[in-house]
Amino acid sequence: MNELQKLYERIIQRVNINLRELDFDAEPYSTGIIQPEQMNKFYAFYGITTDHPLNLVFKNSGLAGSYFLGKCRVSNSLLYKSDIRGDELKREGASFQYQGFTIDLNDDELIDIRDSALAKTLVHNFSHDPETPEVFFIKDTLAMDYANIHGAPTDGAFLGPFATVDLTTIHDSVIGTYSYIQAGEISHMKIDPGTIWVHAQDQFNFYYQHDPDLLKKYASVVAGDRPHGIIFDFIEEHEEAFQRLFDAVNIETIESVPKTASLDRYAVVLPNTTIADNVLISQRAYLENSHIGKGSNAQENCYIIHSKLDGFNVTAHGAKIIESDLESDVFVGFNSFLYGKKGARLHIGKGCIVMPHTIIDIDAPLHIPKDHLVWGLIRNDAELEQNSISFDALKAHKTAFNRGNLHFEGNGYLFVKAFKDRIDHILDANGAFFNGENNTGHAQRNQNLSLNTIQPFQFGSMKGLYPNITIEL
Amino acid sequence: MEKICVKDLMVPISEYATVTVGTSLIDAVLALEAAQEAYSSSKYEHRAILVLDENHTVIGKIGQLRILKAIETRYDLGCDVEKLSRFKFSDQYIADKCEQYRLEGPILDEESFRTTANKKVEEFMQRPTSGEFVSEESSLDMAIHKLVAGPHLSLLVTKEEEIVGILKIGDVFASVFHKMRNRKGAL
Repeated sequence: MNELQKLYERIIQRVNINLRELDFDAEPYSTGIIQPEQMNKFYAFYGITTDHPLNLVFKNSGLAGSYFLGKCRVSNSLLYKSDIRGDELKREGASFQYQGFTIDLNDDELIDIRDSALAKTLVHNFSHDPETPEVFFIKDTLAMDYANIHGAPTDGAFLGPFATVDLTTIHDSVIGTYSYIQAGEISHMKIDPGTIWVHAQDQFNFYYQHDPDLLKKYASVVAGDRPHGIIFDFIEEHEEAFQRLFDAVNIETIESVPKTASLDRYAVVLPNTTIADNVLISQRAYLENSHIGKGSNAQENCYIIHSKLDGFNVTAHGAKIIESDLESDVFVGFNSFLYGKKGARLHIGKGCIVMPHTIIDIDAPLHIPKDHLVWGLIRNDAELEQNSISFDALKAHKTAFNRGNLHFEGNGYLFVKAFKDRIDHILDANGAFFNGENNTGHAQRNQNLSLNTIQPFQFGSMKGLYPNITIEL
Repeated sequence: MEKICVKDLMVPISEYATVTVGTSLIDAVLALEAAQEAYSSSKYEHRAILVLDENHTVIGKIGQLRILKAIETRYDLGCDVEKLSRFKFSDQYIADKCEQYRLEGPILDEESFRTTANKKVEEFMQRPTSGEFVSEESSLDMAIHKLVAGPHLSLLVTKEEEIVGILKIGDVFASVFHKMRNRKGAL
């Protein structure tokens, strides 16, 4: 057994110790998440820019195919094709607002990954834990394929495939396949697959549970097996297109991209795609035969195929848009799967919010009116009727309502406002409102980014692991 | 006033309807029916059954309300109430959902009858609490206090460690009312 295998077993053990009270065993799931024989085949890479502090520390870790930006420390961990994006970390001297507290930062914030294994996982945003404003920790955590750890420090966690933890500190919890959690802080919870939970104390509580039998068709995993389902198959079908990007050192520039937009060199752009001003296309995004309107963005692991986005559209991490027409200001949440077909296109009206982890799978054209919230699984007009509500109707709810598998309690107005504010913040951070002089964001700043690669040991007991390295400006 | 103690009013355990653990609900109901039919030849009316363990120790009680609750199983239909609690929904919201599901669901159908009939008595019996016991030598005052404080419809009467009888609220009420009526002129 080489050092990498020993390290992996130690990580699994630590995860299991943290989750012992939940009677959860991560070991059967671990097979195939990190494949030791794959860990020496891919280089790791990191971004260099004057816009973000650079401080990378790698110690006793495997980093195959992973990307790093900003300040990150990785120790005793295994990362496989994961994106550790530290471009929104808090800076020294900044203030962090939390429930009436103004918390000043003495140092730049750091992403600190310890004793964890992450596969095809995105880590982004900044720690929303007021107790550790300068450290975005990920500790004793096992994250399966296409999980998102977004502003969510974790200490003892198992994240199933396509699970998202967002702005939430996670302690000793299991997050099931295709579940989305945004709840501030959770502890010792075992979240069933397909749970969508957005909770803000004394404001609102949104809880939707995907039908487990129906969800299996789209995303599922059983212990001892690899994830499977339509969404997983969809990604695998398009995986080959990325290979060329990772094989070549230099990729030819696409001249039609405006100077105000940013197209990551690790994104796939296939004909006939047009990109407007102030657009941000992140690494591992996939665009094909689509129009990306002004100020829109496609985050990591997004797929936009045969679709038209009018402008100021947010396509959050992992969202997929196929055969769809989106009017302006539409938000498509994390890992949503909008699966229109040729002759059965999906049309989404201006300003709509597609909740994270929504699945729309249609065989006939479907039209979502403007200013609507949609969620859950929608396959036809009847399911759209049940799983949507106009903003006006939602704002009028001051106590509670229940529709199908959705339970909502609290103030609907505050819910809509919280989402709209956040969408506005995302657009602003991404540079959607850049006017040639002011309001720069990722779309403009990322143009000044260059990349370096680092390589793992190719032989011996350390094969697949990387040398201990410190990189700093 | 003539001193009455608990043992004067209790129903001896030997004359009470009992079943053992493992008995199905339907057999428990039949036992209760048989006990009620015997009412004409007995001075006691039976509205409840005692559940005994293997050592013939009383471990629970089943009244008519418990049986109806066992039939009414609509709490969890379409909604995992326990889950809503874990996901921080308010007690009021959860109570409203319970009530809604209870109202929406049919109670008296073939399936619920079949399911309920095969339930074991230990699944729905009422386990006695500490305030439900009273000594056979206790005064009527003490018994009234315990019935009211519970509140309880009956008390288990003990002699040392052993349960020897049942004190029913109806018998206590009848005794008190009888005394009051006899003394009406003096009041």
